[in-house]
Amino acid sequence: MATDTVEERGSATVPWTRRTASALTRSKTVRTFGPFLPFVLLWWVVAETGMFPSAFFVGPDVVIAKFGELLRTGVLTGYLWDSTVRLAVGAAWGLAIGLPLGFLIALSHRARRFAWPLLLFFQAVGDIAWLPILIIWFGFSLTSVTFVIVYTVVFPLMVSIVAGIDAIPRDMLRAARTLGAGRRNILLEVVLPGSLPAIASGIRTGLGYGWRALIAAEIIVGTSGIGFMMFDARRAGQVTEVFVGMIILGVLWYLTDALLLSPMERETVERWGMVRKPGGPR
Amino acid sequence: MSVLEIRSLNKVYVDDYTGEEVPAIGDVSFSVEQGEFVSILGPSGCGKTTVLNIIAGFIDPTGGEVLLNGEAISGPGPDRGVVFQSFALFPWKTVLGNLTFGLKMRRIPRREREEIAAEYLELVGLSGFERRYPHELSGGMQQRLGVARVLAIEPSVMLMDEPFASVDAQTRMKLQEDLTRIWQDRRPTIFFVTHDVDEAVFLSDRVIVLSQGPSRVREIVEVDIPRPRRWDELIEDPVFRRTSHRIIELLSAPADVEDRSDAATP
Amino acid sequence: MVQATTARPRTHVLSRLTSAAWFVFPFLVLLAVWVIVLDVFEIPERTFPAASSVWDAAVAMTLDGTLVAHLVASLQRVVVGVGLAIATGIPFGLLMGLNRAVATFFAPLLRFSVALAGIAWIPLATLWFGYGEGAVTFIIWNSVFFAVVYNTTLGVGQISEDLKRAAATLGSGRVRLLTEVLLPGALPSIVTGLRVGMGYGWRGLIAAEIIATNLGLGYALFLAQKYFETDVIILSMILIGLIWLLTDRLLLAPLERRTVRRWGMQQGVE
Ligand SMILES: Nc1ncnc2c1ncn2[C@@H]1O[C@H](COP(=O)(O)OP(=O)(O)OP(=O)(O)O)[C@@H](O)[C@H]1O
Ligand SMILES: [Mg+2]
Repeated sequence: MATDTVEERGSATVPWTRRTASALTRSKTVRTFGPFLPFVLLWWVVAETGMFPSAFFVGPDVVIAKFGELLRTGVLTGYLWDSTVRLAVGAAWGLAIGLPLGFLIALSHRARRFAWPLLLFFQAVGDIAWLPILIIWFGFSLTSVTFVIVYTVVFPLMVSIVAGIDAIPRDMLRAARTLGAGRRNILLEVVLPGSLPAIASGIRTGLGYGWRALIAAEIIVGTSGIGFMMFDARRAGQVTEVFVGMIILGVLWYLTDALLLSPMERETVERWGMVRKPGGPR
Repeated sequence: MSVLEIRSLNKVYVDDYTGEEVPAIGDVSFSVEQGEFVSILGPSGCGKTTVLNIIAGFIDPTGGEVLLNGEAISGPGPDRGVVFQSFALFPWKTVLGNLTFGLKMRRIPRREREEIAAEYLELVGLSGFERRYPHELSGGMQQRLGVARVLAIEPSVMLMDEPFASVDAQTRMKLQEDLTRIWQDRRPTIFFVTHDVDEAVFLSDRVIVLSQGPSRVREIVEVDIPRPRRWDELIEDPVFRRTSHRIIELLSAPADVEDRSDAATP
Repeated sequence: MVQATTARPRTHVLSRLTSAAWFVFPFLVLLAVWVIVLDVFEIPERTFPAASSVWDAAVAMTLDGTLVAHLVASLQRVVVGVGLAIATGIPFGLLMGLNRAVATFFAPLLRFSVALAGIAWIPLATLWFGYGEGAVTFIIWNSVFFAVVYNTTLGVGQISEDLKRAAATLGSGRVRLLTEVLLPGALPSIVTGLRVGMGYGWRGLIAAEIIATNLGLGYALFLAQKYFETDVIILSMILIGLIWLLTDRLLLAPLERRTVRRWGMQQGVE
């Protein structure tokens, strides 16, 4: 922080090294990818020293080469597409089911009383534990995988919506009523926008879980997808492909966050100055 | 007929969890006339907020009744606009959106809404801030919006619960002066809750002083100070000082003070 | 708040009982639906077991000791993995919270890892440690570690500069600052991280056990699926749900409440 203000003060007196440095830190690309550079360097050095046997650990150069190869053969694009579609379909269903149910449980006293304990329990059972029975029901199919993702998205979303609606300040609801809002308008104009931060964080948590569930499902159900690719490579003892898979997963999450979740939150919650929860890791 | 009439109001809270009974209001009666500015004052915890919440229709009394224009109230409604201590502005709506909310609820067409809005924004000095979001305004501006939002729906009575308690001292004095000016200009009926004696005297025609809870009306003090009122003039004004002093006496002395007859009215 | 009357303890107990009843009631309804649906639609045992079969399986597995063996194996892994994660994660998080350079270096990597933590590491973990104890413990450690580091860093970052200065003017040295201000100050955030991380860890455990072990609840699921023993599957699922519910409600949530609420610190609760 302090150095920033120093740099701001009349650029004529600042040496050019400083100026380029500050120009660099302002560039978005550098800011996003720059921090990874020293780390990749360290990774490369460790791999080069041969500290770990190459059957367990490979350097960035090998990983990049493998990545190129997988791209050329088209294996990667196919698997990537499969995984993305699964996650998207699962998330869409999850939203379609979780949003209305979440609002119902949050708003209806009776529904809440009845559904809340069940909700806690089924959330606790966890997505992955469902896989064996799903395989018995639907075989090693897309249905099993989608079911698991929907399951993972739905529960955190519902819990978040309930918490979010409960957190709407009472005065805000009272204000709406004294200004003449009826039930419908309170729902549309106050409850819905008021619960948006919670919905956003619910989607975030849900997708975070869904993402992991997808990988597990692909490993266990295993016909295609990034998770399958990684585990298949592991069975063949090919550590490079496992590394490629993990980096792809990380990058995909970054992209989901940067292109989808963050803009969504910027446009709503942050724009309105509603406090963002410190929250857990994403 | 009074705009607002409170008859033998009584409230006992029952704690949901322990079942314990908390008497908040003992027996409170008063009335507010058309275009009058009435404040209610009392020791902390004596039930001022409770009285306001009952009038607003947020909670039900245990006993007694609230008549608005001669009819018993039921639930909250736009005939009793409330200005909140917490502002209670909608963060997802712009200044304009907040201001026109009540008009929109009344299905007034958009163009007309915006004309009315312009007038009230002018009145509270927020012209030019239409497109801002509440968090982009200062505390004082936010509460001015809170006041304008209620004025715009022209309620029978405007209820205010310590509306200026969460802004700094200087802003508060400015807001108080603005409020008297607006009141003189528009003559809304205002019922104002405060714990600040000077604020009550500065703003009101009459000040209702409550006793320690479960509360009763200890005395209703008339404030006979000409308007327009300004702080730089009133601060030294003998009537203002005497009235404030009288109220402070009522608040701090034991119950027999109310029998003394040398009220502040000269 | 005012006079506590004699009526208080009785209504207290009564309201506790009713709320407990309200908690159990939905499950009874669920059980009834289970029994009726299976009966009316004549669903074969191979698709969905009768409630009585699940009960029988529970009794049989308890008697021959397999249930306890699976339970103990899973819980042991959780305890070891989480213990290791706490022992390594908190110091590392404090270091990141204290030292700019360390934080700048590891921050991007950390964000990357938090997104990946847990299940995604299964292929690599089994490659490094082979199938078995090592890989599974690594998965749990990894799920919890990153969440704890991330939240500890966050927690230390949120401690106000004034608080640190206050401690300094009151004569605390560096070590005292750590134990008396930073650790307790970051604790609510740490507990939140622990709670989130254990959520990931528990799921990761089940997945890892399905894939990489021959004992534990996940393995019981895997084996039962292989032989179409739906009764054992449902039993294991119920146990998995119960254990996590109990851990979260009786251990983690109260811990979070006690730190976060007790000290009046605000923190996102998921
Ligand atoms: N929901 C409630 N349940 C139980 N007791 C309550 C509740 N609300 C208020 N009380 C009690 O009723 C009494 C009056 O409360 P109220 O908020 O009306 O006081 P007040 O005069 O507005 O106080 P202050 O000046 O501090 O704002 C207090 O003793 C308070 O503890
Ligand atoms: Mg009050």
